[in-house]
Amino acid sequence: MFGSYNCPVSIEKENLLISLETEGDVKYYRRECLDNEVEKIVLNGNGNILFNPVEPVNLPKEITSYLLIEFERSFMVEPGTTRKIYIKFPVEVGVFISAKKKYEVIDVFTMVNQKFILYGDPRSGIICKYWLSDVYFSLPSADPMLEGVIELEIMNTTIHWAELTRVVFNAYAMKIYYGDDIVSMKAKMKIMAGEIAETDFVNSPINKGMKKSVELYTTRRVVALGTKFLMEKGL
Amino acid sequence: MNVTDPTAVVSSISAIGIKVLLSIATIIIAVVIGKVISIRLRRSLKEKINKGHLDIIIKIVQYSFIIFVLLIFVLPILGVQPSSLLVAGSIAGLVIGFASQSIVSNLISGLFLMIERPIKVGDNVNINGILGIVEDISIISTIIRNYDGLYIRIPNEAVFTNTITNYVANVARRFEYVVGIRYSDDADKAIGIIKELIEAHPFALKSPVPQAFVDNLGDNSVNIIVRIWSPSTEWYGVKMELLWEIKKILGENGIEIAFPQRVMWFANELKKEVD
Repeated sequence: MFGSYNCPVSIEKENLLISLETEGDVKYYRRECLDNEVEKIVLNGNGNILFNPVEPVNLPKEITSYLLIEFERSFMVEPGTTRKIYIKFPVEVGVFISAKKKYEVIDVFTMVNQKFILYGDPRSGIICKYWLSDVYFSLPSADPMLEGVIELEIMNTTIHWAELTRVVFNAYAMKIYYGDDIVSMKAKMKIMAGEIAETDFVNSPINKGMKKSVELYTTRRVVALGTKFLMEKGL
Repeated sequence: MNVTDPTAVVSSISAIGIKVLLSIATIIIAVVIGKVISIRLRRSLKEKINKGHLDIIIKIVQYSFIIFVLLIFVLPILGVQPSSLLVAGSIAGLVIGFASQSIVSNLISGLFLMIERPIKVGDNVNINGILGIVEDISIISTIIRNYDGLYIRIPNEAVFTNTITNYVANVARRFEYVVGIRYSDDADKAIGIIKELIEAHPFALKSPVPQAFVDNLGDNSVNIIVRIWSPSTEWYGVKMELLWEIKKILGENGIEIAFPQRVMWFANELKKEVD
């Protein structure tokens, strides 16, 4: 369902109902997702509406810009090697209206459960959005309305084996792409010491022909805060 | 008729000129050194103190240094001995000192508050029993908006010398409930239900792991302690929401909150005549 639509729009899926209707020069946006309902009045606009996956750290409330993905099975990485794995992340869908070639978000919804976690200790740690994922060694299939896939390149630059149980990402760096049946990101994780690693994203799709999402965390804010994340509280 | 020696006049003027020039040079050097001190202070404190407060501290230090140089070095050059100012200064200082004792105390406390930073603007705090949100920290006083929306001004001395509880200094905090269920209810089942409910709440943190366990066997109930960690910004909402949810879901599963009760045993069997 991702992509751009012209008014009137009506999308009906399991547990999801979205419509954009025009009455005179006023447009009414309605969305029902699980038990959550939203109705908004849109004045003017050219009637285009765009649905695409956005950084999954906005719901139920934007309290952090970090996403922690815990691995269902921990795994060891050989020293001095680079290995590619696939993990899944939760999908949040952003609804944008366009005017004068600019997009403005009017709604964000998700069809998966939300959970937060503390990475580190209460004094110096950070609150992260939480997701549990299995580890895959080839591209897994996933329902794009529920989960996306991260292609994660892990580099162990140390001289010791590293055991990985989780990875933390900064939403300011996320580069999300979507296709007909997949939502994806490409990321890197560089293990720098026994319990320290750096994560960052790569701005390219994992398959050809995928479209780039309009992101909520804009480049303007990236300059101020940086895009990489240093995992100092354990791997 | 008194005739002034032109050579003496010239030497007198040149002596005064040298003194003035020396004074100006001293002041310029003091200003430059003051500037260097302010730059060094700004570099070393910029991570510790917010910009507005740092500007005030730097100005106080810079001007204090310049005034010190004026009093100790420049005035003697111009022929004014600081010792002559001491008598007048000490009396005036005594009067001003008594009058401004609390102001200076608040000012010093304010400086230490800015350096130590136990609280920041926007924090939820409890200062000596006053609960609220920090609106402003100035050099003399701290402004709190309490939860009833009232404006409260606390002198910085009181803030600095009293116990400060900052509810949001850490990113996460824990709260707990005591849930007393009947002795006839299954405590293991109740704990399982409570844990499921906590797991479903987004702001009840996955880690640190929430706890639910039988804490004690009370007079009237089996007491289950429930401990939950939540983001500091969200904990109050979670705390308000979850207790009633726990009560409702336990009730839906046939587990009731216990009431105070007494089991009475009669020494003699109670007899009642029945028609």
